Amino acid sequence: MGKRLAEFVDGFVAPLLAGGDVAIGPPVRPADFHELLADVHTLRHIHSGQVLALRQARAQQLLADPGLPDPDGEELALWVGLYNVLALDHPERERVWARAVTWQRVEQAARYWLQLSHPGNFEAALVRHLSVGAFIDLVRHDQILSGPDGEQRFVGQEVPRRRLRWAVPGALSVRDELVPWWTSNHAPEAERLLHDVLWASPVTCLLRPRQAPPGWNPLTAAAFLHERAFARVVCHGWAASRSWIEIGGAVLGALLFTLTGRPTQEPAADLHPPDLRSTQAPRRRGSPAMAAPMAAPMAAPLALQATPIDAGPGDVAALVGALIHVHFLRVLEFGARLGVAPSSRDRPVQMFLALPLLLPALAPVLGTPLPVDPEAVHAGFDTQVQRRWIEYVEHLGELIPRTVVENLLATLVPRVVKATPA
Amino acid sequence: MASTLLEPIAAGQTRFHMQGLAPDGRGIAVGRETLLVFPSLDRLVAFLGAYSEECSLDDLIPSLTLERARRDGGGQALLLRCAGGDSYALDRLGRMSTAVHGQLFTGSGTVFVRYRDRLAPFGYDLAGPGAPRPGPRSAEAVAADDVLVVDHDYQARYRTSDRLDPVELIQRLQLRPVPLPPGGLAEAPDLCGLHELALVLVAPGLGDRVLAYLWANQVAMAGVRVALAGERRASLLLRLRQPSGALLAVLHGIPGVELLVPVSPRAAVELGYRHPIHLASASSCLPGDEMYLFRGRVGRVERLDGAPQFIDGNYLVQSPIHVRAPASDHRAGTGADNRSDIRSDIRSGNEPGDARSVASTPLQVALRLRPSAGAREPRGALVGWEQAALLRKLVYLIPPTALAAARLAVLPQGMLVLTGSSLGGAGAGLAAGVGAAALIPLGTRIVEVAPGVLVPDGFELWPHVRPQLIRELLGLEAADHALFLGPDIDPLRLRPEHLIPLDAAMISRLDLAVSEAPPSELVRTGSLGGSDGGTAAAIVNQHLGRFALWGFGRVDDSPLPVLAGRELPPGSTPSQGE
Repeated sequence: MGKRLAEFVDGFVAPLLAGGDVAIGPPVRPADFHELLADVHTLRHIHSGQVLALRQARAQQLLADPGLPDPDGEELALWVGLYNVLALDHPERERVWARAVTWQRVEQAARYWLQLSHPGNFEAALVRHLSVGAFIDLVRHDQILSGPDGEQRFVGQEVPRRRLRWAVPGALSVRDELVPWWTSNHAPEAERLLHDVLWASPVTCLLRPRQAPPGWNPLTAAAFLHERAFARVVCHGWAASRSWIEIGGAVLGALLFTLTGRPTQEPAADLHPPDLRSTQAPRRRGSPAMAAPMAAPMAAPLALQATPIDAGPGDVAALVGALIHVHFLRVLEFGARLGVAPSSRDRPVQMFLALPLLLPALAPVLGTPLPVDPEAVHAGFDTQVQRRWIEYVEHLGELIPRTVVENLLATLVPRVVKATPA
Repeated sequence: MASTLLEPIAAGQTRFHMQGLAPDGRGIAVGRETLLVFPSLDRLVAFLGAYSEECSLDDLIPSLTLERARRDGGGQALLLRCAGGDSYALDRLGRMSTAVHGQLFTGSGTVFVRYRDRLAPFGYDLAGPGAPRPGPRSAEAVAADDVLVVDHDYQARYRTSDRLDPVELIQRLQLRPVPLPPGGLAEAPDLCGLHELALVLVAPGLGDRVLAYLWANQVAMAGVRVALAGERRASLLLRLRQPSGALLAVLHGIPGVELLVPVSPRAAVELGYRHPIHLASASSCLPGDEMYLFRGRVGRVERLDGAPQFIDGNYLVQSPIHVRAPASDHRAGTGADNRSDIRSDIRSGNEPGDARSVASTPLQVALRLRPSAGAREPRGALVGWEQAALLRKLVYLIPPTALAAARLAVLPQGMLVLTGSSLGGAGAGLAAGVGAAALIPLGTRIVEVAPGVLVPDGFELWPHVRPQLIRELLGLEAADHALFLGPDIDPLRLRPEHLIPLDAAMISRLDLAVSEAPPSELVRTGSLGGSDGGTAAAIVNQHLGRFALWGFGRVDDSPLPVLAGRELPPGSTPSQGE
């Protein structure tokens, strides 16, 4: 068992997953990572499987019975990349004797570790979400020293005792602040890496679509919606948010952009088979190594072939069905108050609100939220729910312009109905 | 030889000995102020009455002051001072004051001279330097509160003793009885001013009977209950449009019923009396938005707050349906009479030919609950006692605005949670949101079929009656609610004291513990939770040494291991790692 790996797990991974103080020090060097990688097979034995237990406990916040794979090199690379992102945002970087190019190397190494391939199955994707989701939720405990000269903020650190030792009593005061790290200001290198962090975890982007990077394609994770338990998590997560309409608009807007595309952003779309990731890659921020060859005309094969995402009509149907189910959940919870909707002229939001109006066309594939069979009505849903749902859909019909519905009928519905085998 | 204190003003004269005099357009000398001297109060009132009949007192009131003054030589007088105006207005004032034995003077400040008369059509001025000056105590010697009036051959000095408020005086004047027409009211109601509109003030005990009488006679009426000062119970004020003479004659003869003649939009005077002032021309004498009822028989002036908001008299008629109060607002019932109190009203003494009362007796039906498929917004939930524990847990989930606006009534059948517009001001915050009752998925949903009338969801009151009439028929007062629990169960009356705020009712009293943790620990313990339900980790930045990046510069010595055939960052040499 590697001592260095155990220290890394104790200082970073375990508190990240379980909630505690994540200690950020010098960045992990490639040589250190090489050393850690050599001991990765011992991860399941560190502290009697502490990492496995923490991962399992965090995953059970989402799913009742997550079958997580053992930690591997990819997950270790993700952890190290996340750690280095935090190290790049360290407040004492100025003290370090290093040139700017050295810090750029740290950034490149972190990006390299964060660029993971598309997860092959749902469990692998969920494992990444455990770390990335916890990373997004990170908070920082700042202390602010106030004195006659002004205020000084100690970012993620305590005020040194020497600053308070000779002070006149009452002249200085210290107050504490708890800052969400993700939304606070970062060093430029760390800021550039945030999108790479999100790209590493498709499940995180699906659960928090408003934080997804530009060019994000919801179909990258749509296949996971075939997992019934996970689809339930996603739908309830979206519906529970106060800004559920905006979330639905963000997902549907990204989906329609992926499906219909824009001619200016897919110069080589004719030369290659539908590579869904290729639509998003040119928009990625802070990836000069990839952005340059991707933006150029693709006469030669790409240096890094993107993993093709085999998203089919079934995935589109799953995503659309999940969005419609969000409407139904809100109606069930009396939350479908459309006070904000008429004032929203955002096209994706209007399209999201128009989705229940497509149900007559989508019903052969997606089914309906309420059972059509009268016997089933007696078995489960009461008539009040049915009445509320019908009222809600009628209200949407009055609210949404007809052109929006017709646009969706022409663009979205054929990709679900005609292409899906009955 | 008699000395003359005044001299007539010649035509075209522009310079005067007395300060403040100036010629108006016709060359008549007019001062800035006008003074009328009346020997007694009744003369003053007579003057005001005559003036209000001819002109509008509203023009006079703003600059009008009334003073009670004592004359130096003995005797008292009432002084009325107002703005000077022009000679036309002064001519009018002079004509009226002469008719009531008053005197008119013009001037300014403290010295006034006689207004013009037949001998001096342009008015009078103080006599010139050769003539005797007014009195041993000249105008300069007059104190600020005193008034010196100068006539042809005398001067009088009035010392003000107190001041009267003209508005208050007019309101306090005693009404004068006037005789009714010789043929009585039935012959000529128009002579009394009741042809178009009549107000009827009914003593508290007579209201219902008078209403029933008027209703049975199909009189177009509207009414309002008004609380008169000093009376414990509200009187009934009725407004009758175009009442018949016979009806007025009947009402006039009833003790406790007073007929009032509207004399202005905000004043009415009892029939058989008249106010000394013509109130229609004196709206400024009745300040504010109040309505004044001048009652002659009892000698009182009733002030009503604001114009009375009359409602149709049909809704004031006594209800034939009675609602039993809840058997116990309290779980321990009193065992009161459980029989239905909904009963038809058998009206006695129907007049022949009155189709409304004759034909309706066999048609009278009971107001009852029947199942309905109509959808209504839930206004409440009746949660059984067996689900009290669940309700206690649900309170944590109700949004704060909804929780604050919800009310709880404790019934033998369970707990009734009410929200919505029927609660009046408490529901203001609910206009845009959902009430707590709609969020509670327990018990029986309660909907509102009329303001304050609650029935279980899926039921309605049959036959369909106007919502306001339902309240009237049930005899509900302003803040009362009626709750129908089922077709065979008597309705309950919920008074405002039965409805207590839900949050206050459900949340137990809190005990505050003294915090011993330092502030820094409090901040730490209040860390933000993660979106996935887990606890969010906190970043602690350790100190970085000077050589924290040691090793990053030596690219060749520390290559990046290759992971699954991926691209390496520039400047890195791949090693044969995993």
